[in-house]
Amino acid sequence: MRAYFTTIWESVSTLITGMAITWRHMVNIRKGSVTLQYPEERWPRPERDIGFDQGEYNVIRSRLHVDMDDCIGCLKCERVCPVDCIKIETHRVDKGEDIPDVGHTGITSNGTKKALLVTRFDIDMTECCYCNLCTYPCPEECIYMTGGPNSEKHQIDYEFSQYDRNDMVYRFAKETSEEQVAIATGENGEKK
Amino acid sequence: MIVDYLIDLIPFAADWPGLVFVSVVVLCAVPVFMFIAVYALVAIYGELKVSSFMQDKVGPMGQGVGLHAGKWGLLQPIADALKLILKEDIIPTTADRKLFILAPFIVFIGAFISMAALPFSQTIIVADMNIGMFYILAVSSLGVLGIILAGWSSNNKWSLYGAMRSAAQIISYEIPAGLSIIGVIMLTGTLSMQGIIEHQTGFVWGILPNWIIFQNPFTFLSFFIFFISGVAECNRTPFDIPEAESELVAGAFTEYSGMRYAFFFLSEYANMFVVAGVAVAGFLGGWQSPIPGLMDSPGWGLFWFMSKSLFLIFLMIWFRWTWPRLRVDQLMSVCWKGFIPIAFVNIFGIGLWKLIIG
Amino acid sequence: MGVGSVKEVGPVQAEQMVLNIGPQHPSTHGVLRLKVKTDGEIVSEVIPYIGYLHRCFEKHAESITYEQVIPFTDRCDYIASMNNNFGYVVAMEELMDIKVPERVEYIRIIMAELNRIASHLLALGVYGLDVGAFTPFLHMFRDRERILDIFELTCGARLLYNYMWVGGVSHDLPRNFESICIDFLDYFEPNIPEFNELLTKNKIFIERTADVGVMPAEVAISYGVSGPNLRGSGVKWDVRRDEPYSIYNKFDFEIPVGTGEYGTLGDCWDRFWVRMLEMQESCKIIRQALKTIPEGGDVHAMVPKKIRPPKGSIYRRTESPRGDLGYYIISDGSEIPFRMKMRSPALTALSVLDEISAGWMISDVIAILGSLDIVLGEIDR
Repeated sequence: MRAYFTTIWESVSTLITGMAITWRHMVNIRKGSVTLQYPEERWPRPERDIGFDQGEYNVIRSRLHVDMDDCIGCLKCERVCPVDCIKIETHRVDKGEDIPDVGHTGITSNGTKKALLVTRFDIDMTECCYCNLCTYPCPEECIYMTGGPNSEKHQIDYEFSQYDRNDMVYRFAKETSEEQVAIATGENGEKK
Repeated sequence: MIVDYLIDLIPFAADWPGLVFVSVVVLCAVPVFMFIAVYALVAIYGELKVSSFMQDKVGPMGQGVGLHAGKWGLLQPIADALKLILKEDIIPTTADRKLFILAPFIVFIGAFISMAALPFSQTIIVADMNIGMFYILAVSSLGVLGIILAGWSSNNKWSLYGAMRSAAQIISYEIPAGLSIIGVIMLTGTLSMQGIIEHQTGFVWGILPNWIIFQNPFTFLSFFIFFISGVAECNRTPFDIPEAESELVAGAFTEYSGMRYAFFFLSEYANMFVVAGVAVAGFLGGWQSPIPGLMDSPGWGLFWFMSKSLFLIFLMIWFRWTWPRLRVDQLMSVCWKGFIPIAFVNIFGIGLWKLIIG
Repeated sequence: MGVGSVKEVGPVQAEQMVLNIGPQHPSTHGVLRLKVKTDGEIVSEVIPYIGYLHRCFEKHAESITYEQVIPFTDRCDYIASMNNNFGYVVAMEELMDIKVPERVEYIRIIMAELNRIASHLLALGVYGLDVGAFTPFLHMFRDRERILDIFELTCGARLLYNYMWVGGVSHDLPRNFESICIDFLDYFEPNIPEFNELLTKNKIFIERTADVGVMPAEVAISYGVSGPNLRGSGVKWDVRRDEPYSIYNKFDFEIPVGTGEYGTLGDCWDRFWVRMLEMQESCKIIRQALKTIPEGGDVHAMVPKKIRPPKGSIYRRTESPRGDLGYYIISDGSEIPFRMKMRSPALTALSVLDEISAGWMISDVIAILGSLDIVLGEIDR
């Protein structure tokens, strides 16, 4: 008999304790709300800032971007990618010379002379696993994730949804025809 | 009451009594239906907001019409209702077609016709029957038939489980609910809803309003037994085992979609209102003001009735977003080993109290 | 001959119904199919069918280089990626005989323990959902989000980090990390008693979990169950203490075990409670680590230019939030692993399901499954 009433008492008291907690949360919603009204508000909000100082120290995982003017076509990023989402094609050209027809600059911003013409640099962002492995080996630091410490080079972009899956393949190299490439690489005899 | 009043208004009522009666009833059904629809929107909005606040989020929000869900998300329930109406209506090929179509309406009718005897105010009651309380208890159990039909006709194992659980649960919990109501009837000596409320005028213990819940300790307990049994009859958490979304997917309603599902949804909320309304009328003084003699006009009566009912509905929402769900056998033991014995003791106690003290 | 006299029919024998829970079901924690034989509500047999999430991790690892494996270990147990990274790099470093800087060890332990809290928060919250309580789930997710914010601050990613490298970590801690981490712990630790009041000590919750799905210690050991599930059965076994890896032996922490406070030893409630206590222990470890972490030094100092381990093999196990997470790596001296095997703690936990859930009800099967805290990504790999 005593156990019977103890059980009833325990049930009632613990259930009411639970209700008191939810009540407390309900009346303190203005202080306790953690909702972000997404399209209007975005994460890092100043009042919720947990020390996300972009200039001082930051790392970021977002869309990959390549500065083609700096790319020397070394294929290091393609090799290190665990999911093979980077596809690069290169052609041998004269070292360090600009070829304006195919949008090729001879010298990178670091002063390296380029010996390869990159005719295809595709990143399939549907396959990308955002592991950041490709950005470390790059000798020219031309492949990077947008935003964060790179925001002066490219604004942050992590909402790149598309209606067509093919639009998720980002083609960074300038579109070139086979003829242009042949001229640029001097395969058809007339060296430019 | 409204039915009698309207019939009196019609000059040729005596010539065609049957025809006039039927048309007046239809006329009364339209506003009741509209009331349920509007109330359901409000209750859904309330549930969304209350649950969100309890979970430290703000719930549906927006800046204006066309942007998200309107100011404070006020348009969210309308969007929900529109979505349910526009959705494709799927009837499984192996389902028992006739029963499958019939089931949502039976569930809804159970909740809908109970509304006829709810006393919204001194004057607003569709029909003040002399067996009002009995009528509500009788017709509100029609809902379980619809749920069993839904579960059986869906030809789905989850639905069948939901239906069987629901049948066992609702039938069991009607016993403690009925037993608690017997106490009320013993005190008031009438089954008419208005009669029960009129009994509760004046003061008790000097300061408290003379509501049945305050009249003696046994009635106080009776109220909670009735209310919690009512929560169980509405299939709300912690007694939502017929739906049990983490176990039975959606229980008896697994195969339903679109408008048919909306009807189940609507009847759940309508049932909540019926339970709250009966609890208010039977224990909390119905349309009586909490300070007897103050703000007693029929208009205020509607206000008091609605605010008391909505408070009880808020309690149900509060329960739902705080507590876990009971298991099916625990549910039964709570009913048969907990509520029913206490309800019997209550009847006995109320009788003794009436004999000895008042 | 009439239709079945009593003699012919014998005692009433109800037919058993086969019920498929999953692959699409709200509480299978991923894509798992449970073939359940039921007699009414009572369950007589539970057969788990796995493989819906199989991604060939082990075979795939044989064709990619050692550093490329790390992003894939993230995706095995996506709830506790840091711990998966940790196990792999610990094994690799032992194979290659690398001694990492002390600061890196501290960073790794802080990250692993934060991720343990995050993982347990998810497990506990979802368990509340399994038994029907919605609000604790979102309260726990609110706090888990703070941990993910810390991870985002540290390495940019919120879920799949690729943070720990062989010989180091990808980024050093930011300067304000310590204050943010302490802020979080100060905020989080008072929340644990609130979770307990809201869910753990709730009578309905106790009714649902205590005495349900009892896993005696012998059963747990014979099935190879590890981690909080094993400790819930009262066995004091924790790889962090019994086979210390990294620098866990420097820290002072308790190993909570189940006590059968509300029911039998080894029931669902005990497993739940052990996780709740482990979060507090993790907080303790993080506080100690933040106090004693050495400053300065390059976190990439010991990262090899090319990962080319010598011929040989290694098996190393670590304590992930789900239990003993082991990596078996065979190297043939090339850049690519010859064989990679991952010993999944969740798989052994799932295998015991039939043993402990036969005879309970359907609702209990869901509750028992939830209390085992399985992650299908790790089971199927």
